[in-house]
Amino acid sequence: MRLIVKQLAKAYGYLWALRHLDLELAPGEFIALLGPNGAGKTTLLKLLAGLSTPSAGTIELDGQSLCANSAALRGQIGLLAPADHLYDQLTVIENLQFFTALYGKAPQERALVTILEEVGLAARAGEYVANLSAGLKCRLSIAKWRLLDPGLLLLDEPYGVLDGSGIDLLEAFLRRQCANGHIVIMASHHVARAVQLCSRVLLLHQGRLTFNEAKQSPWPSFDRAFGEFLPRGGL
Amino acid sequence: MILLRQTLLLLWKDLLIELRRRDSLLTMFFFGTLLLFVFHFAFDLPPDKIAELAPALLWLAFLFTGTLGLAQLFQAERDHHCLDALLLAPLDRGALFLAKTGFNFILMFVVELVVIPLFWILFNLSGWNLLPRLFLVTLLGTVGFCVLGTITAAITLRARARELLLPLVMFPLMIPVILATIRCMESIMRTGDLAEAMGWLRLLIGFDVIFLTLGVLLFDSVIES
Repeated sequence: MRLIVKQLAKAYGYLWALRHLDLELAPGEFIALLGPNGAGKTTLLKLLAGLSTPSAGTIELDGQSLCANSAALRGQIGLLAPADHLYDQLTVIENLQFFTALYGKAPQERALVTILEEVGLAARAGEYVANLSAGLKCRLSIAKWRLLDPGLLLLDEPYGVLDGSGIDLLEAFLRRQCANGHIVIMASHHVARAVQLCSRVLLLHQGRLTFNEAKQSPWPSFDRAFGEFLPRGGL
Repeated sequence: MILLRQTLLLLWKDLLIELRRRDSLLTMFFFGTLLLFVFHFAFDLPPDKIAELAPALLWLAFLFTGTLGLAQLFQAERDHHCLDALLLAPLDRGALFLAKTGFNFILMFVVELVVIPLFWILFNLSGWNLLPRLFLVTLLGTVGFCVLGTITAAITLRARARELLLPLVMFPLMIPVILATIRCMESIMRTGDLAEAMGWLRLLIGFDVIFLTLGVLLFDSVIES
């Protein structure tokens, strides 16, 4: 999967949430999307997911325009929103069955149970999602996207609701996605964790892409660009 | 085939959730019954006016109960941004429209199954043999109501005052379907058949077919906007 973004812009009324964004990502890249609140991170994720229409510019996945062929390409794009995108009145296993069927996949019951065991939800397979905590819902979302295996996986602040083992689970999943040649883009305020995992860092500030570099060590340009956004004590 | 499979899958999900929550069906059922009792105590139908007034009263009850159902139609999708999850999926949005229309139709049908015979009993009407034909016309009207209702519910989905906006947008558009259904029912109750109201019946069927087709084709743009 190759992602090319050209002159992407999004305006809400008179406010430009994103301006003139150019980006080219190769298969297997892990992008840490960083920036202060209101920088345009979520807007960019929504545009890449096809949930929002750009005011200008194009997004191409493997040479196909996302706007023109969005129905065909949607199956290749995943958006992991912690504790969201799950039906409360369906059970854990019913949610997995519903979403896999929606994506035209029909995993066997055994595969579903195995994946639930791996995310620590096997014992709660028959429980309604409404009864799960936010962290457990996020684990279920991880299970869902593991089964759907999207070529481009977008994540919006995934760390907030996860405990230690949940974070390990998520990071192992993301590493595996990249190892399989898929692209991962993660928006996060957990700069240290995101930078540790990623292969490239993007910084958005007031809707503009102000930093776009592959990870290096040492990385003085990163320290300069991110100084004001880093938590006290740096990395 | 894929459209049908996706429609059935979404319909199964909606029915399962409704079976567990029972919000829409119970509300619609009790409200419909309540309206009948209000009508029963408020109106004393003279025998010569029954054919004119009964269909209008029945459809008034269906309109209000149906609007209650439509206001809840996308509730499961509003919770936890599940609509985004559906829009993200490689789903024909026409399937989403058909599933939501079908779901609303099933709810309305169940309510009508109880409300129409109850109306007959409460107003002490004769001519029980007319009921199958009246049901048939009512179902055609219900299809039109659900089709247009689903489109307007989707249009007002992201509006702040959607519960207020929905009837304001929907009722004027619904006039042809309500008028045609009432005229057809009136003809059945007056003469026992539809001979007098063939023009209205054709209008009703045409309305159903046109808006059902438009819904499947245009729901993509409606739901994304």
